Amino acid sequence: MLAVNTEKLTKKYGTVTALNDCNLQVKEGELYGLLGVNGAGKTTLIKILCGLTSPTEGEASVFGNSVRTDMSAIKRIIGVSPQETSVAPKLTVKENLQFFAEVYYGDKNERKNAVERVISAFSLDEVLTRRAGTLSGGWQRRLSIAAALVSDPKLLFLDEPTLGLDVLARRELWEVISALKGKITVVLTSHYLEEIEALCDRVAVLNKGRVAAVGTVEELKASSGQKSFEDAFVSIVKEAKI
Amino acid sequence: MRTARAFIKRNILEILRDPLQYIFCLGFPVVMIVLFSVIGKYADGMDDVFNAKALIPGMIMFSFTFVMLSVALLTSKDRTSAFLIRLYTSPMRTVDFVLGYTVPCLVVGVGQEIICIAFGWIVSLIVGGAYFSFGAALLLIVGMLPMLLICIFLGVLFGSVLNDKAAPGITSVIISAAGILGGAWMPLDAMGGFETFCRVLPFYPSVYIGRIITGAVHTPTGAEPPAVYAFDSVAALGFIPIAVVLVASVVLAVVAFRHNMKSDKK
Repeated sequence: MLAVNTEKLTKKYGTVTALNDCNLQVKEGELYGLLGVNGAGKTTLIKILCGLTSPTEGEASVFGNSVRTDMSAIKRIIGVSPQETSVAPKLTVKENLQFFAEVYYGDKNERKNAVERVISAFSLDEVLTRRAGTLSGGWQRRLSIAAALVSDPKLLFLDEPTLGLDVLARRELWEVISALKGKITVVLTSHYLEEIEALCDRVAVLNKGRVAAVGTVEELKASSGQKSFEDAFVSIVKEAKI
Repeated sequence: MRTARAFIKRNILEILRDPLQYIFCLGFPVVMIVLFSVIGKYADGMDDVFNAKALIPGMIMFSFTFVMLSVALLTSKDRTSAFLIRLYTSPMRTVDFVLGYTVPCLVVGVGQEIICIAFGWIVSLIVGGAYFSFGAALLLIVGMLPMLLICIFLGVLFGSVLNDKAAPGITSVIISAAGILGGAWMPLDAMGGFETFCRVLPFYPSVYIGRIITGAVHTPTGAEPPAVYAFDSVAALGFIPIAVVLVASVVLAVVAFRHNMKSDKK
C-alpha cells in the first residue's frame, strides 16, 4: 500500500506557486527523502499532507485517506516533528511525552505504555526530569521526534530534523532516525545532502515546486552521470531550470 | 474533552512554573494593596478613597489585567514556536485550544481574587478600618468574573495576532488604562465628566459593582455627605459595556485564533 500518493498536487499562495503538478508515491515502510533548495516546495508538501494547508488543485492521500475529505483520519495516523523546536519548555521531558500521549490515547495504560516505549527507544532516561527548555538543541530535537512517535504513527514527517545541530548531535540523531527504518514510514526533508544519502531509501528532488527527479541515491547519480551525490543534485536542479 | 484536559494541564504547569506570573499576578497587587492602605491610613482625607471596601474591588480588577498579559504571552510564544503548529496536526479542535488557554487563567484569576481579599483583610486588621463580610467576599469573587473573562479573552486575542515581543507592549497599554480609567486608585466618582467617560469602558463599571457588593462609600465631595455605593443608574448602565466588551472579546478572540491557525498554514 502507498503511504503517500500525490497526483498533480498544486499549491498557490496568491501569485506564488509553491507546488506545481507534484506527483509522488511513497511506499509503506520507506524512509523517503525530500530534497531541494529553499523555496523548492518541501515544507509546503508536508504541510498539505499534515492538514496544515489545503491544496489548490490536485489530490493527495495518506494511506488511502484524502487530505481533502479524511483529514481527521489522517491526523490519527501521522506524527510530525517540525523544523523549529516544538516542545513545551517549562514541562519536563516526561511531562511533555505524557501530554502528547494524553492527546492521542484515552486509556491510561495505553498512555503509560506509549510513554515508556519512546523513553526506552530514545534513551531519554537520563533527562527525564529535566525541563525541556533547559535541554541542548540535540536533546530537544530528540524529544521532539520522540513526542511525534508517542502516538505510534504509521507515517512520520521529519522537517529538517538536524537543522542547526552540531556534527555530533547530528550523527546521534541519524542513529535514532536509522533505527526507525522498516518500522514505520518516514518522510524526511533536509538541506544536508549527506544526511539524505546516509538515511534515505529513496529521494525526490524538488525544484520550484516540481518533482525534478525520483530514485535511490545511486539511481540519481547514475541518471545524472555524476560520481558524487552533490554533483548529481546540482546537475538535476540545473537541468530542471533549463 | 480529553485533549482539552491535557492542554489545560499543560498550560497550568507552564503558568505555575513561570516566576514572572508570581511577581505580576500576585506580588504586584499585594504590594499595591499595602501601599494604598498605608496612604489611606496616614494621608489626610484619603481614608475614604483608600479604605479596604473601596480599594479591594479596584485592585482585583487591576490584577486581572496581568492575567491578560500572561495569557497573551503564553499564546504568542506557543504560536511563534512550532508548538501550536504541531498541535494543529493532532486531533485537537479549536474548542480544545480555547478551553486550554481560558480555564487555567480562570483558576489564576480566582486565586488572585482570594489572595487580594484575604490580604486586604489582614492589612485592614493592621491599619484599622471596616472590612466586608465573608458572604460579600464570595459575592465579590463571582461579581468580578465577567471582568476576568474579558481580560482572558483579550489576552487570547492579543496573543493570537501579536508576537511575543509586541504582545507585552500592547497589554501594558491596557494595564495602564485599566488602572486609571477603572478608578482602581483614583476617586473617579469625584471627577464629574471624566467619570461619565469612564463608564463607557468595562473597567470602572466592574469596580463600581464590586464596591456595591463590599458596601464601600463614595468619595466625599464636600457638597453633601458621602453615600454608600448602591445599585443606581451607573451600576445598571454599567452592565452594558461589560456585556458588550465581554461578547466582543470572546468573538474576536475565537475569530483571531481560527484566522491565525489559517495564516500559520501559509
